[in-house]
Amino acid sequence: MTKTHPRHGIGAILAGALMAAGIAASAAAAPAGPNLEGVWKIVTPTTTLKPVDGPIPFTAQGRKQYEENKRLQAKRAYDDYDITLSRCNSPGTPRLMLTPERFKIWQRFGVLTFDFEWNRALRQIDASGLPPVGDPLGMGLIPKMTGISKGHWEGDTLVAETTNFSDRTLLDDLVPHTADMKVTEHLRLVSPDTLEDRITIDDPAYFARPWDAVVAYKRQPDALFPEDVCLDRHDAHRPVFPPQ
Amino acid sequence: MKTAFLWRRGLKALALAGATALVFGAGAAGAQIPPNGAPPATSVPGGPPGGAPQAPGGEGPGVPSQFGPPPPPPLTPAEKLVAELPPPMPGGIIPTAPVPAGAPMPNADPRDLQGTWIHNQKLEFRMQRDMYDVPVPYNMNGAKVLARRVNSLKNGAPFINASAMCRPPGPQWQRDLNFPFQIFQSKDWIEFVFEEYHGRWQVILDSAKTPPPAQKAYMGYSVGHWIGDTLVVESSDFKQALWLDVDGTPLSANGKLIQRIRKVDNGDHAPFLEVVTTIVDPTYYTRPWSVVRTFGWHPGLTVFNEYNCEEQIGDPSVRADAGLVPEPQD
Repeated sequence: MTKTHPRHGIGAILAGALMAAGIAASAAAAPAGPNLEGVWKIVTPTTTLKPVDGPIPFTAQGRKQYEENKRLQAKRAYDDYDITLSRCNSPGTPRLMLTPERFKIWQRFGVLTFDFEWNRALRQIDASGLPPVGDPLGMGLIPKMTGISKGHWEGDTLVAETTNFSDRTLLDDLVPHTADMKVTEHLRLVSPDTLEDRITIDDPAYFARPWDAVVAYKRQPDALFPEDVCLDRHDAHRPVFPPQ
Repeated sequence: MKTAFLWRRGLKALALAGATALVFGAGAAGAQIPPNGAPPATSVPGGPPGGAPQAPGGEGPGVPSQFGPPPPPPLTPAEKLVAELPPPMPGGIIPTAPVPAGAPMPNADPRDLQGTWIHNQKLEFRMQRDMYDVPVPYNMNGAKVLARRVNSLKNGAPFINASAMCRPPGPQWQRDLNFPFQIFQSKDWIEFVFEEYHGRWQVILDSAKTPPPAQKAYMGYSVGHWIGDTLVVESSDFKQALWLDVDGTPLSANGKLIQRIRKVDNGDHAPFLEVVTTIVDPTYYTRPWSVVRTFGWHPGLTVFNEYNCEEQIGDPSVRADAGLVPEPQD
């Protein structure tokens, strides 16, 4: 039931990778390079990941699955297409970026940790520049709701590429994707208090071409988030995503 | 009870001194002496501070009486009940590699705890003894709860608990598992973000700015202050009673955890956090008692594995209680 990760054996390999990278000492306290740290909240709450131009370029297969999701939604058969609604499963990437509550970004050792107020969810972007670590236990083979995100900086923009997805999440409330999706994000401060995430969806089985969506976030006052437990709402038959 | 406690301390004192040093090693040897702000190991008036040896009968530390130690006093009913339980599973851990030269190291400020850490001791499935190797001081209420939980496992019908239901399991269980966590810090609070359970342990340094929440939290309400370079954190106001470990060492909802946290760097490139937790819960224990844990510095574990227990717990094709049974209420 609770997942365990026998990860200790990875330690030596990780340690070697760190040594090779030659990260500056005492890097714990402050982010290196551009600083996206802070508390953020989506400017315009939405349940739809909208392309910046035109409709979503579904393939026939993608449209079929999308229409099926709409049918299941109308039947309230949530567990058949959206286990976030039915189980509080992690919304994954990029849907987490649409959650209406706040999130924090931390930058430590070149790793950006996104700490979401909704259900205490996490996603991380590894922009440390370290070479891939060894994975003797094959943890990387397990599909992930948030995928595996590798990032690098292009000027003041963090470019993050995410792969290794589970196919059990959606892009938003309805739009499906396959396990082969690649999500590329360009994250940058368009002003000191506005963070922009340009999200590119590349999934040839479901979309005829890559397409972009842009989501903006406003900086919020520094705060500790209250303990949010989605399963408590779920069990009380309250909405998994509280009304805003 | 007090007599029995003191007798055990005296009899075992010399052996313990060596044994505990072996267990904790040079780096954590300081754990044998409470850090700044730590309480003595016993609340018994006149008892030895910091677990120092004392023989029964007032002869002084470590000095046997003329006729040798007296026979052990009979166990209290609570002690007898706990002693007769099946033993816990042995905990294990695969050692992580030392932090290599050139890796990022913690900030030199002893009050800056930020970075990535991981519990580097064997997981204790059941806390049977305190940090001075004295048996956990159960009263009969506590012994009955523990016995009920251990026997539920033995009987193949374990009880529902927070961990099993994908809920925050409380600060002690959360820290004890061998998963990494990151610490983030500001002048008003310190936040521990864990790989597992979506764990967040928030330590509030300025309670005026962050009063207790309107609704109690599984992780409780934790307020900290510095005594020297030791962060002393009192955690209380828990939403529900806690299991302190896998076997169900109990803490009532009215219980309190006092954590004394300090960063130790002996210059051996192996810094660690030492956390001494004092359990204060008259509902289940005859006196406060303490355990010590250490957490090694490990920046290489900053990228967490995904933890998503909701996928399984919420699965409508399996039983909502995951096959566990409700625990009888006292």
